[in-house]
Amino acid sequence: MIEASERAAMLESVRGAIASAGDDVGTALAEVGWLEMLDAEPDDAIEIVFSAIGAANATASVLDDVVVSALGREPRADLAVVLPSFASWQPPGRIEAPEVAGQGLATARANGAAEVLVVCGTASEPSLVGLPSSAISVESARGVDPSAAVRVVRVHGSASNPAPVDPGAWSAAVGRGRRAVAYEIAGACRAMLDLARNHALERVQFDRPIARFQAVRHRLAEALVAVESLEAALAAARDVPTAETAALAKAVAGRSAHTVARHCQQVLGGIGFTTEHAFHRYLKRTIALEGVFGSADEIVVDVGRRLLSERRVPTLVEL
Amino acid sequence: MPPNNAGTAESTPAIDLAAYRAELNAWLDANHERLAPRYDPPGTIDDQVAQMQRVKSILFEAGWMQRGWPERVGGSGGPPMLRTELGAALAARDLADPGLFSLIEVLAPTLIDFAPPELAADAVPRLLSGAELWCQGFSEPDSGSDLASLRCRAAPEGGNADTATNWIINGQKVWTSLAQFSDRCVLLTRTGPADSRHRGITAFFVDMDSPGITVAPLEMLNGVLEFAEVFFEDVVVPAERMLGELNGGWAVAMDILPYERSSCFWQRIAFLYGRLQRLVELAPDGDRFAEIVGEAYIQLHALRARSRATQHRLAATGTIGAETSIDKVLVATAEQTIYDAVRRLLPGVIEIDGSASGELWRNEYLYSRASTIYGGTAEVQRNIIARRLLDLGSEG
Ligand SMILES: Cc1cc2nc3c(=O)[nH]c(=O)nc-3n(C[C@H](O)[C@H](O)[C@H](O)COP(=O)(O)OP(=O)(O)OC[C@H]3O[C@@H](n4cnc5c(N)ncnc54)[C@H](O)[C@@H]3O)c2cc1C
Repeated sequence: MIEASERAAMLESVRGAIASAGDDVGTALAEVGWLEMLDAEPDDAIEIVFSAIGAANATASVLDDVVVSALGREPRADLAVVLPSFASWQPPGRIEAPEVAGQGLATARANGAAEVLVVCGTASEPSLVGLPSSAISVESARGVDPSAAVRVVRVHGSASNPAPVDPGAWSAAVGRGRRAVAYEIAGACRAMLDLARNHALERVQFDRPIARFQAVRHRLAEALVAVESLEAALAAARDVPTAETAALAKAVAGRSAHTVARHCQQVLGGIGFTTEHAFHRYLKRTIALEGVFGSADEIVVDVGRRLLSERRVPTLVEL
Repeated sequence: MPPNNAGTAESTPAIDLAAYRAELNAWLDANHERLAPRYDPPGTIDDQVAQMQRVKSILFEAGWMQRGWPERVGGSGGPPMLRTELGAALAARDLADPGLFSLIEVLAPTLIDFAPPELAADAVPRLLSGAELWCQGFSEPDSGSDLASLRCRAAPEGGNADTATNWIINGQKVWTSLAQFSDRCVLLTRTGPADSRHRGITAFFVDMDSPGITVAPLEMLNGVLEFAEVFFEDVVVPAERMLGELNGGWAVAMDILPYERSSCFWQRIAFLYGRLQRLVELAPDGDRFAEIVGEAYIQLHALRARSRATQHRLAATGTIGAETSIDKVLVATAEQTIYDAVRRLLPGVIEIDGSASGELWRNEYLYSRASTIYGGTAEVQRNIIARRLLDLGSEG
């Protein structure tokens, strides 16, 4: 954990880099030392960078680096990874010797990377295959999110030398990936709330700013409660970094994003329904991210099944 | 900020909370027989009150009740989180009702922060040891959410506030939890002009056996007589029983917030984990049920994460404020979600199960409907969030 002052400086340089990056946010982040930060202080790096990406609705293929490093490999700008399929958190590949096949999600980096890592098998017995990017075909780059931050890819290559992966490393990759995505969602939620709050203060109807109407105020209050409960779940997942706390943070992210988007959209009225206004990009990004490393619906059922089968309700965090 | 803040000013250097928790739990395990209720839960409100007072007296004798309270009121010092851990452990083990037990956190700090030192030193140990029960007389028939409109009047005997040795109280309170069992009441009265709102309120520490006080218990919708109407007719209260300044009662009322929103909530959360635990022991398998349980669990987890952060902020900075309205919304929502889950997973239990267990779930289910009403309603919290946290300016 780094000092508050250092943290603030990091946050500022990351925000600045994203703001002035134009299209190539990845390079801008690399220039301010993203990979070094990730290596030295992964928790701070993930929190700062992904919250900032979410808040700016930026697109950068840095989730690959988070997963690659959790798998024990050295992250590089030309090393990509195939993520689990939409709403799932199982390894995306399967080995059918001598071939490897599979389907999953990927960031834009998978196109043209020197190497693409594919985790195969099951969560309890995973193995890792490195493929050329020619083995990855983009099945769909069109979806709700106009920036296509994640796309659907198909894997088809040869399974030469699969390396066994410690199940703990896969679980860590899922956990860190979940936290990263949840931070991005949290950043987007804050941004949606800011947009709606500003609109409420500026938009005049019935001779007064709509912020004076209690129905509007309560919607924004509800959105703030949702954002802050997500931030609390993320802080707990950081302080007590287990698979469970990361899973719950990702589930809370899904629920909170839904609540925030619903209320903010309503407060924004017609303008929020246009592509002229920034709101839609945040809304769409959170919808797309919902499926990365497991959706709230899937996680909730999974967690509930475990509570019922173990007949035990763990508290996970203490004072 | 009150002069002798009971929450923080005396916080001693950080102690190992995990070690304390382990020691406490080992002791509670070893003394389970002595501490466990002597009746089949839920029991009556009389059973529950007697149980709580018995548990307090055992814990006081063993020195646990004093932990985390200032030495000048008979405590043994240490950070307030020690009290929170104790309350949470009792709630998790069902040894005392968290709503009743955590009233200590609502009342004792008021005395510590605002009573003359001798009064606090004399009174607080009685509350901690189970010798006494106290209640909070704030709400009135015409003053609920709008507490600053309260009318119960205190007038100086003889007419001069500066020289009066007694104050005479007339009026009515309502929904006063445990009034009929209580030895004392922290009472808010009107001492300024009728329209003086929060500037004309004064707090008193009133003996409930004073002549002129009548208590009429009210039945809650779960059948329990937990709260009461309290009538005051020419009740004489000595001037030394004034808490804080004349017309400074609003500060007294507001001072409760940091305790209620930290320690009390943590105790309630521990209790809710216990109830969810009980539910998963009884619930049928199946994905439909898994979803309901999972949903309740993630809400409870987010609440716990939030409350934990709040308590650490209080310990570090000495204050918490309007941002705890978020904690209040989360606690109320999670509580209702959990009991809604009970109702969905155990069909027929709340509705028509005549056993003691049915009685318990039914009582608690019905009580949970109040979580969005007491301690500031859900709407009032949202008003505060909009005004103070989102800075939306005034309403209307
Ligand atoms: C179980 C229980 C225990 C209690 N224990 C105590 C106790 O020990 N001591 C004590 O003093 N009091 C106690 N109370 C009283 C409690 O504090 C009040 O019930 C509460 O403050 C609400 O006041 P009210 O019931 O008069 O409702 P009202 O204030 O009349 O509210 C009715 C409805 O109107 C809404 N409303 C009111 N004002 C606004 C507004 N400005 N904007 C939007 N909506 C608004 C409310 O949210 C609510 O939905 C207890 C209550 C309960 C249920």
